[in-house]
Amino acid sequence: MEIKQQLQEVLQEINTAFQTIDTINELNDLKAKYLGKKGCFSQWMTEMKNLSNEEKPKFGQAVNAAKDEVIKHFEDFYSQIEKRIIAEKLAKETIDVSLPGRVFPVGAKHLVSQVIEEVEDLFIGLGYTVKEGPEIEQDLYNFEMLNLPKSHPARDMQDSFYITEELLLRTHTSPVQIRTLLENSGNKPIKIICPGKVYRRDDDDQTHSHQFMQIEALVVDHEATLADLKGTLLILARKMFGEERQIRLRPSYFPFTEPSVEVDISCYKCHGKGCSMCKGSGWIEILGGGMVNNAILEATGYDPKQYQGFAFGVGVERLAILRYGIDDIRAFYINDLRFNQQFK
Amino acid sequence: MNVSLNWLKEYVDIDIQSDALVNKFNLMSAEVERLEKMVTASNLVVGQVKTCIKHPDSDHLHICTVDIGTSVLPIVCGASNVDTGQKVIVALDGALLPGNLLIKKSKIRGVESNGMICSLDELGIEHKYHQENGIHVLPSSSEIGIDAIKALHFDDEVIELHLTPNRGDLLSMIGVAYDVSAMIETKMHLTEPQITEIKEKNRVNVSTSTAGCMSYYARVIKNVKIQDSSDWLKARLIAAGVRPINNIVDITNYVMLEYGQPLHAFDFNKIATTEIIVRDALPKETFVTLDGKSRILNEDDIVITNGKKVIALAGVMGGLDTEISEATVNVLLESATFNPIRIRKTSKRLDLRSESSIRFERCLDPNRTIKALNRACMLLESIASGSTLSGVAFFDNNDLSAKAIPFSSAQITKVTGYNYQGNEIESVFQRLHFEYNRDGDQFVVFAPTRRPDIATYQDIIEEVVRIHGFQFIPVTMTKLPSNGFLTPKQQLRRMIRNTLVFLGLDETLTYSLVSEVAAIEFDKKAKSVVRLLHPMAEDRRCLRHSLVPSLLDVSAYNTARKADRIALFEIGKGYTQTEETEFVAGIISGTFQESLWQGKKEVVDFFLVKGLLQALFDRIGVGNVKYQIPKNPFPKLHPNINACIMKDEVSIGWVGKLHPAEQTKRGLSDTYIFSLAFEKLFSCSSRNFVMQSISKYPAVTRDIAIVVDKTVSAEMITSLIRKNGKKILNEVKIFDLYQGENIRPDQKSIALNLTFQDYTKTLETDEIDEITKRIVSCLEKELKATLRI
Repeated sequence: MEIKQQLQEVLQEINTAFQTIDTINELNDLKAKYLGKKGCFSQWMTEMKNLSNEEKPKFGQAVNAAKDEVIKHFEDFYSQIEKRIIAEKLAKETIDVSLPGRVFPVGAKHLVSQVIEEVEDLFIGLGYTVKEGPEIEQDLYNFEMLNLPKSHPARDMQDSFYITEELLLRTHTSPVQIRTLLENSGNKPIKIICPGKVYRRDDDDQTHSHQFMQIEALVVDHEATLADLKGTLLILARKMFGEERQIRLRPSYFPFTEPSVEVDISCYKCHGKGCSMCKGSGWIEILGGGMVNNAILEATGYDPKQYQGFAFGVGVERLAILRYGIDDIRAFYINDLRFNQQFK
Repeated sequence: MNVSLNWLKEYVDIDIQSDALVNKFNLMSAEVERLEKMVTASNLVVGQVKTCIKHPDSDHLHICTVDIGTSVLPIVCGASNVDTGQKVIVALDGALLPGNLLIKKSKIRGVESNGMICSLDELGIEHKYHQENGIHVLPSSSEIGIDAIKALHFDDEVIELHLTPNRGDLLSMIGVAYDVSAMIETKMHLTEPQITEIKEKNRVNVSTSTAGCMSYYARVIKNVKIQDSSDWLKARLIAAGVRPINNIVDITNYVMLEYGQPLHAFDFNKIATTEIIVRDALPKETFVTLDGKSRILNEDDIVITNGKKVIALAGVMGGLDTEISEATVNVLLESATFNPIRIRKTSKRLDLRSESSIRFERCLDPNRTIKALNRACMLLESIASGSTLSGVAFFDNNDLSAKAIPFSSAQITKVTGYNYQGNEIESVFQRLHFEYNRDGDQFVVFAPTRRPDIATYQDIIEEVVRIHGFQFIPVTMTKLPSNGFLTPKQQLRRMIRNTLVFLGLDETLTYSLVSEVAAIEFDKKAKSVVRLLHPMAEDRRCLRHSLVPSLLDVSAYNTARKADRIALFEIGKGYTQTEETEFVAGIISGTFQESLWQGKKEVVDFFLVKGLLQALFDRIGVGNVKYQIPKNPFPKLHPNINACIMKDEVSIGWVGKLHPAEQTKRGLSDTYIFSLAFEKLFSCSSRNFVMQSISKYPAVTRDIAIVVDKTVSAEMITSLIRKNGKKILNEVKIFDLYQGENIRPDQKSIALNLTFQDYTKTLETDEIDEITKRIVSCLEKELKATLRI
């Protein structure tokens, strides 16, 4: 029989056999059956030694060509099986992507820290530096140098926790301003904000806390004006409560500023029409400030003829209460995780 | 200060609505707390009880007929004091009384009732102002059928002003009128009080031996008739929030409200001398004030004496002995000024703050001292039928002149940023009724004595800005060029906060004030504690030394509310007598991390906390941190699960497990705590990076397993290996720890993975083997380790 004919038969057999094959091992066996030592090709090659020398090359070539053909077939089989196996494997690996992912807990920064950092960043952008100071403060820095001598009626505005006659828990961060003014010995402009804890003798209730966080700002130079204060406060109000906010100044009194102002923002809930949030006025009080009282400049070595400045102070919790609709100031200090974790 | 608008209108024209006036107050003067009608009830008329019989089916009801002018109504009344002939307040059908009480025609126990006869309480007048039980009976002269609210002089509105301490001038109706006049640019109507002195002379002598009394005026009024004040006077006082008592006391209060000058009325006969001497109180001197309490005085107090004994505590309270009573016939009336600081000290010390003391504290107008006295005499004459003796006994050391304050318009512009024109400034002073001189840009203003708050040109600026209007101030930004930045310390604080948050810890903020026990609970070195002089509560008595007790409280609070994962930290200060130390402290308990459906969870243990801290130290550049067994651990920590955190032989903090007994006490599960000293972290944190090249040659690893005594720490093993590993030993990792079968109970097996790498060449096997051998022999020699095969 001609090799070609036999090859056709062999290929037919292989194809038929392949139909029943599922694994690489079975395919290996099949391959060995035809291409192995006992396979037909080995047989043909042993038969070749019986042929004449003229016939040998021709026969050999025909057998090799047939063998290549079979090898090609097997290669194709292998890739088919591999594809099939991979497809099966992938099918088995199908997952429900809607199941929840592995939990990587992320903590919540305290809301008060968030607001402080936000205000700090705003003022750093405006060229301010951040100053800190002690919380146990001398009466001298907390009151006296701020134009609040002992027995001044305005001391009632900030009832305080005394530790000794002369030491108390600071009632505002203004003593940091005094310390900074003194450090600069009367001849350098100042542009600072002072965030920190402050303490007042208030009973804790929904709107009062004996401890709270304050941020004060102080600018002293040759020409800082009330208009500059207004501009600065407008930027703060808009950053915290939205670009469409307006502010208004009202007369007030702090011994350390003159003139002194209360600052209102236009109500962000009713946009000035009047609602429960703003008690019908269209305005919400957010902070107090004013032009630095000359008495303070003089007490700290600044010549009021050369220097003037503005200052303001804002309660951090107050900002957060307004912005996030918090109804009880004590929530900041209880640290119920169900509260804290709302502000991640 | 409660301002009656009817009263205010006596001194100043008001041509705008009340809510517009409120807005003006807010923007130009003082903040308005509230604007309220004095009585909100509607549909009330004056009626006269014509007949009054007992209700047949009730033991307390009366059946009345009441004439209301246009008709006679049947009304059932429950008050026991109702009687025929009385003029009464009748709420008609449809009247709405406070508390949303709607009056309707009805039948009460079968009897028709077409209205209600009212008490003052039912009109919303607080009981303390009238103390009447039952219905209110109007004077017999009242006209039937007219609006009862008008008849009672309650047809008024009240503005409550929130006053700042500088505006003592607004503690008087006249002072408020001045500000209103400036605000709305209307005319004022002030009249001088007119009195009719009788011939008899005032023979009283007044003098002082203390500088604490600057002026003292006294008049004597004879033959006063003590009785209830008339309705108009009562209404004024009620509107102002002052309780009517009798005509004498009411007049002194009325004048105080009108002029801001407190007055004191003595029973002249009880003074018993004609000498008034003001002096400093003597140390430990006692005095019975008119509330019947005996007071112990000191040299800071000022007293009024009759030359022999104390008759009043100046500015604060009169004496019981000389109090006005129903039997009083002759009155000595005092109008004086005292040192505000001393009055404040006395009233604060004795806890006797009053409408009077508040006014004395905030400086009076010395020009009103005599005026107020005369005004009171005028009223005593007309209301209490008194006769004023001729002459005023007085001394007066006050400066009665207006204070001249020079300034320029350029000065105002420089401070405010608004370019004020001369005429704008002039207009403000005209509106305020301030005298002034102007010479071009230069002004001199004469601040009247009624405005003691105005002393400097800065005060003048405030007046100009508020009266001219804050809305005119432009919006600008400061021109001072400057760099804004956080200091390295502030940056580190933020980095720590951010890192811990991203490691899964929630930040807390807790109170610095804690109980005395909690204050020093986690401070081993505590020598003393910082106590408040006057704490408000026992649990807020002292300043904390450590954040840990507060964090434990937060932990217990949340555990009690079923939180199964507690991971908290706080950055804050501890306080001692000498310093404030900032800490970074944390508490972790429960399941730190859990993926439920996959059944994976990470329960907190010591090494989880240590791992978190390592991540923090890596982030902030604190390297080579070591954990040591502390020499004297906190008694509240687990004695064998806690460590001192060391950096270069300096302790930077501690970490440990809460003692099981403490856990039980506080209702906590296994709780781990750390506390780090912020300043120390700052001083050893370094993030100055210099790039190191990466080796081109492959790394080689070797594993070794050794058995050592249990007491040999991992740290001892790894540092010994490092010491002997030379430069090419890159990394030492512990990958197994075993105790149990095949290992003696006092020993442990530890397996380590060593990584070697050279930057200059590929390492030869021989070389690695030799180093490994040396390492092993060192471990054998120094730690009595045996190699495990």
